[in-house]
Amino acid sequence: MADHVSRADAQHALDDVELRRRQIVAEIDVPTWYWWFLALGWAGLGLVTVAGDPWLSVVATVGFGAIHSALAPRVIDGRHGSKQLAVRGDVVDRHVAGLVVGFLVVLVAITIGIALLADALGAPEPALLASLIVAAIVLIGGPQLMALVRRRAERSARP
Amino acid sequence: MPRESHAGDARFDELIHPSTRLSIVALLASADWIDFAFVRDRLQVSDSALSKQFATLEEAGYITVDRPVSNRRRRVRVHLTDTGRAAFEGHVAALRAVVASAESESATL
Repeated sequence: MADHVSRADAQHALDDVELRRRQIVAEIDVPTWYWWFLALGWAGLGLVTVAGDPWLSVVATVGFGAIHSALAPRVIDGRHGSKQLAVRGDVVDRHVAGLVVGFLVVLVAITIGIALLADALGAPEPALLASLIVAAIVLIGGPQLMALVRRRAERSARP
Repeated sequence: MPRESHAGDARFDELIHPSTRLSIVALLASADWIDFAFVRDRLQVSDSALSKQFATLEEAGYITVDRPVSNRRRRVRVHLTDTGRAAFEGHVAALRAVVASAESESATL
């Protein structure tokens, strides 16, 4: 054992180790461009509905979904939010990708709910209105979701 | 080679123990790779001082240093090796053992 190391020195070293772990945890994130891509895509799909062509809406939705499916798996794990490092998988909650996908499902439900409500209230372009509101939720809620992930990672001790 | 003392999984590592090296390895332990600049900024040390510490750790086989070219800029990416990770985890266990034994001694007094 390290007999020449005092308890205070050992504790100080352990505190520094924890500080460094937290500095990496602070980098857990989804790139900002992902939230903008999502928000603009959502708003774009709302705009397409204004044209009133259901086929155009289907093509736009499938196209957006395909692009999202190609991009999302590379970034929604929260490990590549910074260009300066890649966070280790065991530091990030393994459910982060599931959380983001769950967030998207909730957004779809909110979009439908707002659109139906707006339509019932007689608002003009209810789908566009719903998509713009949800686009704003994406830009605000996405970073908040990742802040929650970071707080959870900070609380979890190393294995 | 680093000097070590052993106690089960706990291995006090003299090479890692100096504060700057411990900080470097602790950062690397939570990442797959880290850019040189990130480590320098978090530790608030000069490029030359950090390069010296990296050279020591690389020589011991604790880290590997890659120099990929990105956007025409040469970057320096540092990884912790399996040997380095084992040394770090053993060292942390040794530090915890020091704290735990000190606490149990004070409890018996």
